[in-house]
Amino acid sequence: MPKPRKPSISQSLLVLIFGAITTLSYPLTAAETDDGNWRIVNYWSEWCAPCRVEIPMFNELSVRLANSQVIIVGVNFDEDPRELTLEIADEMGIEFTVLSQETVDLLGMKPPDVLPTTYLLSPSNEVMAKLIGMQSEQDILEALSLQGLTVLTD
Amino acid sequence: MIRPIGSPNAALLVFLFAWSFGFASGAAGQGRLEHLPSPAPSNSSLSRVVANEAGEIYLSWVSQDTEQATLAFSRLTSEDWDTPKVISRGNNWFVNWADFPALSVDASGMVAHWLQISAQGTYDYDIRARFYPKDNATWTAARTIHTDGISAEHGFVSMLPFDNGTTLITWLDGRETKQGNPLGAMTLRAGIFDKSGANVSEWELDHRVCDCCQTSSAMTEKGPIVVYRDRSSEEVRDIYATRLIEGAWTLPQPLHNDNWQIAGCPVNGPSVAAMKERVAVAWFSAKDDTPKIQLVMSSDSGQSFSDPIVVESPNTNGRVGTVILESNEVVVSWMDTTDGAKIVLSRYDIKGNFLDITEVASSSASRRSGFPIIEAVGNSVSVTWTDISTTPQVKVARIDY
Repeated sequence: MPKPRKPSISQSLLVLIFGAITTLSYPLTAAETDDGNWRIVNYWSEWCAPCRVEIPMFNELSVRLANSQVIIVGVNFDEDPRELTLEIADEMGIEFTVLSQETVDLLGMKPPDVLPTTYLLSPSNEVMAKLIGMQSEQDILEALSLQGLTVLTD
Repeated sequence: MIRPIGSPNAALLVFLFAWSFGFASGAAGQGRLEHLPSPAPSNSSLSRVVANEAGEIYLSWVSQDTEQATLAFSRLTSEDWDTPKVISRGNNWFVNWADFPALSVDASGMVAHWLQISAQGTYDYDIRARFYPKDNATWTAARTIHTDGISAEHGFVSMLPFDNGTTLITWLDGRETKQGNPLGAMTLRAGIFDKSGANVSEWELDHRVCDCCQTSSAMTEKGPIVVYRDRSSEEVRDIYATRLIEGAWTLPQPLHNDNWQIAGCPVNGPSVAAMKERVAVAWFSAKDDTPKIQLVMSSDSGQSFSDPIVVESPNTNGRVGTVILESNEVVVSWMDTTDGAKIVLSRYDIKGNFLDITEVASSSASRRSGFPIIEAVGNSVSVTWTDISTTPQVKVARIDY
């Protein structure tokens, strides 16, 4: 199993040029699905090895994006009950918001055919990119860049 | 796997069952659908249906409460389902909608497995099994199928009655994922186990396979065939087959070059069925993000296969099953996602011509609905699945063609 790519020093200083709108509290609620944010939606499962590998990258990226218009959220592919999902997320070390099934439904998300899969949703919840398989930070940043979400590095 | 009805008693059993349970029939297509009562309790799931040589149907399932998980089974008699019998229970199992217990039954006895979390490693689990030699009439103590002693992922088991009461067990083995620099890949292994559970022989069939797709095996006239999802160094994850011919496994070969390249897990394994020299394999793929179920057939025990027949595209999320009927027709079960989710059976003649489609039940695309499993006895197909519309419960139906 490939190891996650560690961010370089320059990547660790990445800042999105668009301004801070909000930092979501945990958990995301239905009312927050039309908050004007872009969303990186990562489908994971506890038994999916590549999912577990990319979790640390999403954790770090979610911190960097905390004051931007892009938020990272996760979805338990297995659709376990909410309490169990949060327990599993904790065991997996997931530090970003994990959506409830109700919110997933509200976003109109369709379960992917492959794990892991990561979607980029526009503020209107339109799927702008579907990234199949394990992603690197660079993959995610490139997907953002294709949507005009330019990234500055210090 | 086909289990031909070979005796008047078996035929009588089918007739009596139809007479005593006949309710809620009616279906689209040519198959006559009959929903059967389920012996499984509430909060049951992960069911499989399997038949022995005499055409007797066995249903296995896992039930859960707050304390533990229980693996149980029941046999269908002419009157009713037997009283369910417990195979094993535990509070340290890895219970998963895609990777779940199997039961193998033949004249010499039974074998069942479940997954047990290893002492070390949160996501590591072992394949545990109990054997039931019919002449002893008792289950053996649980034993671990693999002998690596490494805390890693082991699962996606398929079982097949083999020679002289032995059982061929195939599984995904993650021992190499914890060794080497860089770490190795998931492997495909198989072993033959005698009635007491002793390991007679063991092989590595493929050194690099997809991490989380079911394996499937069937017995042809020339020996067993195992199908699985491969994983190339370029992350192409197409379906491969290998056969045990005169004591040696053949070099794995692709059934078709789908060239589905994904650095991830489809969680959608293939399904193989065999009857004498005839073999049928169905599988799911989604190249270019287009879901597709394909079917290939063989008339030489899996040495060569036909070009693929597209069973469905794109309105499916896979979860296929395959059986061959006594009539030589092939039935493929799959999930239809055209409008919600439905469990359906598509039937093909020996030349691969589509015959009909039968809707078995409404279902859910949710993972909690699991994988429908089918088994053939004569020209009847038994289907089991989990209904999650309320409290999860295992359901059973039979379609007579």
